[in-house]
Amino acid sequence: MLLIHGPYCDDTLPELEFAYAGAAHIARPADPMSLSDEEWRDFLYVRSNPRGLHAERWRYIHGCGRFFNASRDTVGDKFSVTYKAGKPRPDLEKAVQMSK
Amino acid sequence: MQAGGLGADQIQQIQLGGKMSDLRISDRGRVDHARPVRFTFDGKTFAGLEGDTVASALLANGQHLMGRGFKYHRPRGVVTAGSEEPNALIGTTRGPGQFEPNTHATMQEIYDGLSTESQNKWPSLKFDIGAINDRLYMLFSAGFYYKTFMWPKSFWDKVYEPFIRRAAGLGRSLTYLDPDHYASRYLHCDVLIVGAGPSGLAAALTAARSGPSVVVVDEQAEMGEALLSEPSVEIDRDQVWGWLASTLAEPASLPNVRLMNRSTAIGYYHQNMVGLCQKLTDHLSDVPADAPRERLWRVRAGQVILAQGAIDRPMVFDGNDRPGVMMAGAAQTFLNRFGVKVGVRPVILTSNDSAWYTAFDLADAGCKVAAIVDTRTDIPPALMQAAMSRQIEALTGYTATATSGRLRVKSIRVNPVRGGRVGAARTIACDAVLMCGGWTPSLHLFSHTKGSLEWDAKAKAYLPGHKTEAVHIAGAGRGLWGIAAVLADGAQAGADALRDLGRKAGAATYAVTNDRTGTGITQKELPTDRSPSSAKAFVDFQNDVTAKDIRLAVREGMRSIEHVKRYTTNGMATDQGKLSNMNGLTIASDALGKDIPQVGLTTFRPPYTPTTFGALAGYHKGSHFEVTRKTPIDSWAVENGAAFEPVALWRRASYFSKAGEDMHAAVNRECRATRQSLGIFDASTLGKIEVSGPDAVEFMNRMYTNPWAKLAPGKCRYGLLLGEDGFIRDDGVIGRMRDDLFHVTTTGGAARVLNMMEDYLQTEWPDLQVWLTSTTEEWATIAINGPNAHKLLAPLVEGQNMSDAAFPHMSVAECTVASFPSRLFRISFTGELGFEVNVPARHGRALWEKLMEVGKAYDVCPYGTETMHILRAEKGYIIIGQDTDGTVTPEDAGIGWAIGKAKPDFVGKRSLAWPDIVAKGRKQLVGLSTENPKDALVEGAQIVLDPKQPKPMKMIGHVTSSYWSEALGRSIAMAVVQGGFDRMGDTLHIPTADGGSQAAKVTGSVFDDPAGDRLKVE
Amino acid sequence: MNASIKSFDAISVTVLPAVARLNLRIAPANLEVASAAFGLPLPGKIGQRVAANGRAAWCLSPDEWLLHGPEAEQTAIVADFATARVKAPRSLTVISDREFTIAITGPRAQELLSVACPLDLSGMVPGTAKRTLFDSAQVVLIR
Repeated sequence: MLLIHGPYCDDTLPELEFAYAGAAHIARPADPMSLSDEEWRDFLYVRSNPRGLHAERWRYIHGCGRFFNASRDTVGDKFSVTYKAGKPRPDLEKAVQMSK
Repeated sequence: MQAGGLGADQIQQIQLGGKMSDLRISDRGRVDHARPVRFTFDGKTFAGLEGDTVASALLANGQHLMGRGFKYHRPRGVVTAGSEEPNALIGTTRGPGQFEPNTHATMQEIYDGLSTESQNKWPSLKFDIGAINDRLYMLFSAGFYYKTFMWPKSFWDKVYEPFIRRAAGLGRSLTYLDPDHYASRYLHCDVLIVGAGPSGLAAALTAARSGPSVVVVDEQAEMGEALLSEPSVEIDRDQVWGWLASTLAEPASLPNVRLMNRSTAIGYYHQNMVGLCQKLTDHLSDVPADAPRERLWRVRAGQVILAQGAIDRPMVFDGNDRPGVMMAGAAQTFLNRFGVKVGVRPVILTSNDSAWYTAFDLADAGCKVAAIVDTRTDIPPALMQAAMSRQIEALTGYTATATSGRLRVKSIRVNPVRGGRVGAARTIACDAVLMCGGWTPSLHLFSHTKGSLEWDAKAKAYLPGHKTEAVHIAGAGRGLWGIAAVLADGAQAGADALRDLGRKAGAATYAVTNDRTGTGITQKELPTDRSPSSAKAFVDFQNDVTAKDIRLAVREGMRSIEHVKRYTTNGMATDQGKLSNMNGLTIASDALGKDIPQVGLTTFRPPYTPTTFGALAGYHKGSHFEVTRKTPIDSWAVENGAAFEPVALWRRASYFSKAGEDMHAAVNRECRATRQSLGIFDASTLGKIEVSGPDAVEFMNRMYTNPWAKLAPGKCRYGLLLGEDGFIRDDGVIGRMRDDLFHVTTTGGAARVLNMMEDYLQTEWPDLQVWLTSTTEEWATIAINGPNAHKLLAPLVEGQNMSDAAFPHMSVAECTVASFPSRLFRISFTGELGFEVNVPARHGRALWEKLMEVGKAYDVCPYGTETMHILRAEKGYIIIGQDTDGTVTPEDAGIGWAIGKAKPDFVGKRSLAWPDIVAKGRKQLVGLSTENPKDALVEGAQIVLDPKQPKPMKMIGHVTSSYWSEALGRSIAMAVVQGGFDRMGDTLHIPTADGGSQAAKVTGSVFDDPAGDRLKVE
Repeated sequence: MNASIKSFDAISVTVLPAVARLNLRIAPANLEVASAAFGLPLPGKIGQRVAANGRAAWCLSPDEWLLHGPEAEQTAIVADFATARVKAPRSLTVISDREFTIAITGPRAQELLSVACPLDLSGMVPGTAKRTLFDSAQVVLIR
């Protein structure tokens, strides 16, 4: 069971209290009706599946309830960094260095 | 023994193995010679001592034969003294209805009254009919599952499958509920030490003295591991067992240390979470009432120290599975720890120094060691001298080529190997063959962490490489040999762990005398002068895999060790190859012509040893299997004869039968009563969400398909929620309580809906000033339906004008009902005049009883979910998740009217314009009327156009809901059908399980009162 | 669970009398308005508590507070916040019946919680609160 650092409570907590919420940094288009079918398809369904660091959304669903973003290694599974929703994607290379 | 009587075979064995009284050495070992214990094995009573395992007690009685092989049913004896045991798996009966298969005889402690039985045999252990498989060896070679059963196809049902089913599986499984109960705990500590041998204990002492919380776990009944088998060693001038006692006393006295015996670390998970299974009562004859049998611990440790030692490897040669052939290390343990000689005339067969010490200990204990056979030619002179002084013949540079004996080894055939040539054979009479083909560091748990294992040429073993966790490996797990070395290494691991915790500590040092260090070599199957093709040189005892099988797998094209493993099943038994993996790998690498590290390792997976389902389930069994959510009115339903059904986690009353009524009669009566006069229904399970804040209406507009701006406070509306993909996710009635407050109801999926709403609110629209609060459990909800609903309710209401004009259909108000504060909705899910009263949960039952009391005047009838389903279906009201399945759009469901077409956007709107969504021929929700009105369709049944078409038929939809409608006097059904809206009046067919089919006409989905006249107050 | 917990001397388990429970959601910037309405300076850090005069408040999330008060004061609390609504938007929801409170006391109380709570509670400061799981049920733990 992974440990996850909650960016709001600044505490490291068991994965059991959290829920995965899909890939991060995919904003809902401001005006979906202006999108072509292909653009809408890409927004809805097309996702990358990287080996290595993956930007993800998680929710501390049984704690503070906040959605937040995370960078997690899909090989070793562990989180390298978590950050509040709305904050820019951190420099992942740097994040990896920091986590080592 | 006398109590059980002796069979002829047994007498023969005892003659072979010496007198029983000779086998147990009085006052030797850690068993209590003053406390005899009696237990049974296969119905015979055996005597043992307190502290014995089943294996040690049987061996003390001269009984090596403890099981039968899995595939060939060959007689098998105990091979090890620990949890790596592949052969001596027994069934244990601890009490009535307390049976467990596949218990290690080497781990199960005996107690008075324990009953055990051997496995894989029929009709008896000594004569097993399945042993015929041994003669059909060719049939069962590597890959036999893939090859043998390929043809002819017709053999599958009658021959192959029954055969495989009979042969597969190990032991017999329980056919009744496990009466025991199991506990679970979370535990947090700074340092977790797995294994309480010399390295683990040294690590524990170092760590404990510095003050962090330390947990030490060991799978054995007694801590000490190798120290228990090496009594001649002295540590710090103290005899090892004296040192052990004082060493264990120290941490036991410290509040920061927890010592846990009989506790197996079964799995090592992310970020130092280690699962432990602690056995609490399996060793007790008098089990305290209510005591859990096992407890599963989930330990989160800052640092983990793995000190699990090493496991000795068998030698691979023809006949190495004969009872009496066992590991030298195990024989040493049986001798020194249990005071049991495994034989009186043993032969040692080894490629390692360690087994020489076993020979010396046995000789010193009075055994006649017939020979030490070592495959090496270069033996340390000290060992040769020690053997000579004990008059033990040492045959160096020898191989073993066969054994004899049916149920117990009688002799071993050995040959000199000179210049690669196997010389003339010599047969040595013996009653035990004690082998050691090297030591395999026990790194299973480390392997669970995806830590890399790297081949160490010096230690001739895979040793820990790259680590992914805060873990330290100590002792024999790092390929070290000898007590002094592992003590020092353990102390260092303890100090390293403290350092990584940011604490300072020095590693203790230990002075060890009489230490036994040594070396050895690793080798493939032993050379032979006989045809290797007829040799049964076992690599994996538990799965009956031989050296020949592994070579065959390589010949047949298996190149990866993972393929060899699966093709031969080597290492795939419950022991996970603890004995066999390295030998299999060595032989495979030889067959492949590659070095061992190039071939690589297979993966170890949890659990380390077989674990009961009970321990994993913990409290989650019986009534605690899952949470049962009960409404505030549940107790009334219980008292009034409700039948219940689970709906998600809720327990809901499905109907209330009166005396003599079956379900059908009860439901028909409930339907009639509600349509004719008055029914009341506990709807408390409705999900409820408070949407509050100045932007609430904007939020509702964006989330739901419907328009909300014009909904005035005091009014409510049916709301439809889509996913962004355009498919229906949820629905419910939503009341506007104030400008800035909505009372949203959902289906049972309230938590999912709330999560979805929070997601949009927090991450897409953080600018909106809206907050969401779940109020599902805050309110008890009672639905009142029927022509007399208004008459019942109106007199009870204060604070709201209940006239039809002031409080029309689709109204909501805050008022009191029977003096309870309430949110009152005028809505209907039955098509009748209806209300839903929400009161704070604590008042739910009181209000219900009040309504029942006052309702007597109208023959009020409580109804359950069955009736609710029927009444709503008669009106064509859909249930999300029953009539929809995640691929249904509002148009498909015939509720396109719920879409606010003028709204620029809402969740899912864009997807409703997909080409596939607007295409013709989608599955659409329609009604079905069976040609025979008494015919009821089966929910989930597939629908076809032509029931006579050949199979597989083209299916064009399925039945989603089907009921008997008491109101209409016929069956009704709803279904999703391709192009259903264009098939009105068509006849479709629903094939039935018995090969027939039912015909039904496509109709609209509103069966009753399509104009909705009955919603009005008369 | 299986054995009757009440039989242990080291632990007692009791359901506490009803209190008024309210869920407050408000932007942290407007916390002062809420503090004034409730009559206690609401804490700004998750887990922290303030308590006085029979009322208590715990911060559960960046914009969420759990308020407790005497049952008799529930209506008054709701009214006070209603007045404050014009000053700052917020959500105040009565959840008195949504939850109930169980007191677990005794030297082995923490051990009992460890049966199904995955958190390390040894370092939890008395007075603080933590929303978490007990088995599959979401709970608010107050030490």
